Amino acid sequence: MKPLPLYASLVVGLAILAAAPLYGDNYVVRTAAIVAMYGALATSWNFIGGFTGYPSFSTAAFFGLGAYVGALCQRSGVPMVVAWAIASVAVAAFAALLGGILLRLRGHYFAIGSIAVVELCRLIVSSWSSLTGGGDGLNLPLVQGTPEDLMRFFLMVMLVILAASLLVTILVDRSRLGFGLRCIHQNEDAAAMVGVNTTAYKVAAYTLSAVFCAAAGATYASWTGYIDPTDSFQIVLTVKVVVMALLGGAGTILGPAIGAAAFVLLEEVFWANFIDWNRAILGLVIVVLIFFLPGGLLSLRRRLMPGGAA
Amino acid sequence: MAIYLQTLVNGLMLGALYACLAVGFSLVWGVLNVINMLHGSFIILGGYLTYFAWHAYGIHPVIMLPVVAALMFALGFALQRGLINKVVSAPVLTTLTLTFGLDMILYNAMTYFFTATPRRITLDLGAISLGPITLPVDRLLGTGLALLLTLLLYAVMRGSSIGRAIVAVRMDRMAAELMGIRTDRIYAITFGIGALMAGAAGVVFATIFPITTNVTGIWLGKAFVVCVVGGLGSVPGALVGGLVLGLVESFAGHWFGPQQAMTAGFLLMLVLLLTRPTGLVGVKGYE
Amino acid sequence: MSDMGLLRSARLALLAGGLAAGLLAAGAAKAQEVIKIGAPLALTGGLADEGKKQDIVWKMWVEKVNAAGGLQVGDKKMKVELIEYDYQSEGQRASQLAEKLINDDKVQFLFAPFGSGHTKIVAGVGERYQIPTIACVASSESVFDQTFKHLFGTLSPNGGMTTAMVKLFKEKYPETKTIAVLGRDDVFPKSMAEGIAKAAEAQGLTVAYKELYPVGTMDHAAALSSIKATKPDWIYITGYTQDLILARKQMQDLGVTAPIVTMVTGPSYKEFTEGLGKLANGITSSSWWHHATSYTGEGVWPTTAAFYEEFKAKTGGDPDYVHGSCAAAGEVIADALERTGSLDKAKLRDAIAATDIQTFYGPIKFGPNGMNLPRELPIIQVQDETIKVLAPAAIKNADMIAMPK
Repeated sequence: MKPLPLYASLVVGLAILAAAPLYGDNYVVRTAAIVAMYGALATSWNFIGGFTGYPSFSTAAFFGLGAYVGALCQRSGVPMVVAWAIASVAVAAFAALLGGILLRLRGHYFAIGSIAVVELCRLIVSSWSSLTGGGDGLNLPLVQGTPEDLMRFFLMVMLVILAASLLVTILVDRSRLGFGLRCIHQNEDAAAMVGVNTTAYKVAAYTLSAVFCAAAGATYASWTGYIDPTDSFQIVLTVKVVVMALLGGAGTILGPAIGAAAFVLLEEVFWANFIDWNRAILGLVIVVLIFFLPGGLLSLRRRLMPGGAA
Repeated sequence: MAIYLQTLVNGLMLGALYACLAVGFSLVWGVLNVINMLHGSFIILGGYLTYFAWHAYGIHPVIMLPVVAALMFALGFALQRGLINKVVSAPVLTTLTLTFGLDMILYNAMTYFFTATPRRITLDLGAISLGPITLPVDRLLGTGLALLLTLLLYAVMRGSSIGRAIVAVRMDRMAAELMGIRTDRIYAITFGIGALMAGAAGVVFATIFPITTNVTGIWLGKAFVVCVVGGLGSVPGALVGGLVLGLVESFAGHWFGPQQAMTAGFLLMLVLLLTRPTGLVGVKGYE
Repeated sequence: MSDMGLLRSARLALLAGGLAAGLLAAGAAKAQEVIKIGAPLALTGGLADEGKKQDIVWKMWVEKVNAAGGLQVGDKKMKVELIEYDYQSEGQRASQLAEKLINDDKVQFLFAPFGSGHTKIVAGVGERYQIPTIACVASSESVFDQTFKHLFGTLSPNGGMTTAMVKLFKEKYPETKTIAVLGRDDVFPKSMAEGIAKAAEAQGLTVAYKELYPVGTMDHAAALSSIKATKPDWIYITGYTQDLILARKQMQDLGVTAPIVTMVTGPSYKEFTEGLGKLANGITSSSWWHHATSYTGEGVWPTTAAFYEEFKAKTGGDPDYVHGSCAAAGEVIADALERTGSLDKAKLRDAIAATDIQTFYGPIKFGPNGMNLPRELPIIQVQDETIKVLAPAAIKNADMIAMPK
């Protein structure tokens, strides 16, 4: 994608979300904030899953840990925004350590290892009740302000996280790191042979995939005011984010965020209209997607415009 | 001392059930290279079929076993033939996401038709006491049945031409094709066997555990752990993995309390993943 | 440019489509001729059975209220509209739908869903918008200690359940010396497990075993074998219906028993007794309400019997405490509207806080934390596969029996 149209569509997309309070009520603003949140999660996953081609399912672990670290900081009196920053840094460090160990695995084994991390985090958080409150969950101080102001505030925070993740994606894409990650995706052994430091690169991608998830998780915790282990570490969340990225187009810059927007809006429509069958319909969408749109929504351009630049 | 014996026996019985639950999942993973996210729902579907046959018509679960097995084989065969085969050589993410999508449909349908109310077959066969140890009869039968099914599968894999073809495809797909094996068909049969084993496990489980869609994810998680612990794609691997997991959960539950039992299982899996990705009795080349 | 243009328009169309739908919905909900009550419900997913119970009685209540012309607000009667959404037993979804109910559907009241955890989430949203939230299935005091001013619960604190139970059982079986406690690590079951251990110790019992098991446990053999080794006089297990069915079955399998076996809140649900059959006999539990009570009061059902009859006619089954408490939640709103005579948010909130009514479900009067005041809660036991009430004396219909061997 050429830089100019890329930046243009990015700015337009963010602007549409940011302007939600101007044309919609609180529910629309909330939906925009959720779009931004999932957009950030899917864009984060893209570093490891899209660029590097490692099927990571750790998203929910990073999201949940971010929520818990943020909540614990806030409860011990750290100001909210600082708590979010601490959560992001701490979880990034955790991901770097974990990545060093886990990224030795490949393919299915890496996928399993990364899912196991989510389940282990849930079990540990839930049994370490002296710190985390266990199954009781944790209450966070409620943010003061009218619902409208709050909603706008959290929309803006989620948008900042999304914008930051997209910005880093563009930077990585243009840099040696992005090139190296794509090499690893193509053929890891060959990449190592031509001098790519595969371990360092993979750890970098894995860490990047964690940092924005943690920020989103910590923000989400402050937003809802209550977190518990079951809702914070959901395997469903992890898989959803992967599906979003695939829906938009894994490995592209804007694809995952677009996929997230499409997925969240579809979910809204199904939930509102098909109470009993919404999960099945979503499943059907996934199945259809795999067969008819394997390259994601972005690949539509190519299909509809033979000869157009891909 | 008695408590350790009891814990050992508990662990072995649980382990045999785990092995039975995971063997089909392991086979599909090993041969097709597909992580079948439907496996947990297949087990529960088998359980529901058994429960309703028993509840509505008084059909004994043992009689239902071949019926459920045949139905589940047909379902698995058709799914693989009709859908999964078309993307079977795609990357992990594609097949995993596809089976996840299919699972959402099956899960939704089961919750819709059967509700989430936990069901139970109340056979309640009592228990046998061996000195200080208590052996629940239905768990004992379930264990026996689970072992029997697992060994039967082993015999089929070793002794029949289909089984040998499956093993051949697992070892080297290209070579198998050159030898005239129709891999598409073998894939469909393997997936069918995977579903059959899940359904059979469901029949066994229906007499021991509550049947509800709430637990599909839990059984799927156990299948993952068993496969990684034991090693992929082989019947002995699943058997060893299941027994080890059962024992670990049992003893961890006794020593560290039930809160740590599941954590211990997942930790074991993570450690084995990193140190011995082929599993305890795995085949080289599947890491 | 060409392909980018297409991409952009597709993107715009997607977002705009969703947003337009939102705008339409917002536009449609302006005139306020009815009382709107919003309910995020778990109609699918793990808590679907509980969600459906709430759904049944709320619909019964609304139907009955509207058939009588509506609720009295000042000098006119207003119809009630109940707006429900399925949150699929997912917490994140519950808060989102609570917000949708308030913003899109303009509800004046919220009914909280089943369970302490999800009640917390929905109440957080209600608090932010200053919408009164009535919780009918949350009994953990930890839910009500968050200084929320708009959350009210119709269940009495579960703290009261434990002390009375220990007292009754000690009276009946004075030789009871030790208790083994196994609890699910989840808001309500955990607080009950901890509560009973405390109450038992306070009254001189020895806690021989006390452990929690994590959500998702499918085998209790290890814990039960350890409990068996301590030979307790009383076994107390908490959890959801599926956990308790499994635990009871495994107790039977492993020959683990005690003169007293309590499962909270197993026997309160008919799914528990149905799932266990004969194995349920002898199991004791606490509950918040039982249809054997005979309360009289205001509202669409003047007596407990009236509610029971109608429920039975409608569903063919017996109501449990979820049905009773949730049906009574509607009466809180009816009463507050009648007393304020307006739809003013702040006045309604204050009126609800000052609630002091008698209903078929029993008295409802909220303490400073918004919880229904403590009262004598029924202690029940399964005898011959039916539920008998052991206490309080006023509604007692059977004597306690020891666990059958």
